[in-house]
Amino acid sequence: MTAATATPLVRTEGRSRANEIWRIVRLHTVNPSIFFGIPWIILGGAWAITMALALIVAGASGAPADDILTGFRYSWAVLSPQWYLVVVGVQAISFTFSFALGFGATRRDYWLGTSIMFVLVAVEMAAAIATLVQLEKATNGWWVGAGMFDALWYGQSGWLFDFYTSFALQMFVLFVGAGVTTVYMRWRMKGMLTLGASLIVVVLGALAIITGANAWPSVWAWFASIGLLGVFTITLGLALVCAVGGYLVIRRATPR
Amino acid sequence: MTATVVSAKGLTKRYGSFTAVDAVDFTLEENRIYGLLGRNGAGKTTIMQLLTGQLFANAGDLEVFGRTPAEHADVLRRMCFIAESQRYPEDFTPAHVFKAAPWFFENWDAEFAERLIADFRLPVKRRIKKLSRGQLSAVGVIVGLASRAPLTFFDEPYLGLDAVARHIFYDRLLEDYAEHPRTVVLSTHLIDEVANLLEHVILIDEGRILLDRDADEVRGSATTIAGARAAVDAFTADRPVIGREGLGGLASVTIDGRLDQAERIRAAELGLELAPVSLQQLIVHLTGTDLAGSTEQEKAA
Repeated sequence: MTAATATPLVRTEGRSRANEIWRIVRLHTVNPSIFFGIPWIILGGAWAITMALALIVAGASGAPADDILTGFRYSWAVLSPQWYLVVVGVQAISFTFSFALGFGATRRDYWLGTSIMFVLVAVEMAAAIATLVQLEKATNGWWVGAGMFDALWYGQSGWLFDFYTSFALQMFVLFVGAGVTTVYMRWRMKGMLTLGASLIVVVLGALAIITGANAWPSVWAWFASIGLLGVFTITLGLALVCAVGGYLVIRRATPR
Repeated sequence: MTATVVSAKGLTKRYGSFTAVDAVDFTLEENRIYGLLGRNGAGKTTIMQLLTGQLFANAGDLEVFGRTPAEHADVLRRMCFIAESQRYPEDFTPAHVFKAAPWFFENWDAEFAERLIADFRLPVKRRIKKLSRGQLSAVGVIVGLASRAPLTFFDEPYLGLDAVARHIFYDRLLEDYAEHPRTVVLSTHLIDEVANLLEHVILIDEGRILLDRDADEVRGSATTIAGARAAVDAFTADRPVIGREGLGGLASVTIDGRLDQAERIRAAELGLELAPVSLQQLIVHLTGTDLAGSTEQEKAA
């Protein structure tokens, strides 16, 4: 005889919630090359090119290392892995999310686990870059005047400042990639177009208001007053907005 | 006593104006092997995605292990569903999949997985993107079998598998099912291949359930009557005809329903031949509306 009664849900699991979230972090690291390998290959490649350039310049001009180092101040090489990390953020949602759902993860655990992964990666990259800045300064440009890490805003306000700015930037690129992709996973192309159009409207609107009110000098003055630290704190704030927004959006997202 | 694992009432999923699953009602009971059969695009995968909480229904009630599946970790961890078109993380290899599996499936049997990998000759170090269709199916089959999830879905497991591999799947599933009973849902359009595995058949077409019956019952539920056209037509005149074929003065008609002893004797007296209908033939008759329509017209002409 078949009794049509629902099985009472026995919560036998010794597995804690923390474990359910942590396994998502582990899932991201099963293939470590994505988060840890390739960013360093890109950075390593950029470093090799910078070194080669420094040696060529030194060989051709015979200029002292210090002068060459000044020339590298405007090199963007230190930011080279950032573009790749936007893609990593996108892929974490477009591929790994579908896979995790197939393996029985909840959307919430997936997003929380992925966020922890992003924070870990941002800390790792930021600590490494800030340390490499100090190393580069200590060795006077790797003994040949090659300036890759001690460039742009880096290397001027100490290790902690470099760490904080790198961390904020790293969080931003990862969460923007992932957050925007959650919109696609939930509303597909319609959502992307709406998001794109809204962003354009907001940006154009802001430009119009500022220009109309002749407020550009005060905008620049405001940026100058908050300084680099303030700008990167805004960047980190935007990353948090994407993180919270992504959480809300992914809760009803469906895999492809 | 058998417990109900899945209970769906009026379950509906729409994509814009297209209704993929149209107010279906069904239940799945514990420790049985179900066949979710139907043509391509019938709604098989959509139903499985609804049951595993991957999609959200537009209407209807759905309970899996007594609860809505979506976002409930204690329901989801009892299920395994590797879709036929499953996406894998960038640059994943089968080895990565099998390494991560035990974190998600508490009953994962690594030894069993190893044996299956050898059986299917799956290259575990090759990137998923580079696998053939059959090898990709093997990844899903291995995860499905070795996970031993209380509710396991196999989505088109036979796609691209060679004859030997299909046989291995068939054998391993039955062996392991005998030792570790669980509820299995197998979706496929290759019906003859799996017919003997199934204990229960749910046939869907255009988002609706056409048939929801015990497999043994289905196997004996239709009969084909062949012979001289006039005799066949007379014999089947007031019976539910589900298929008709003809060649010259000969006709072969499939009817829904069994024949009792007296009817069998009468058919023999009329010189008619009776033949059982295979699951696949029956399903072709039930879902092949275009085919049936054209033969009807042919007869009328």
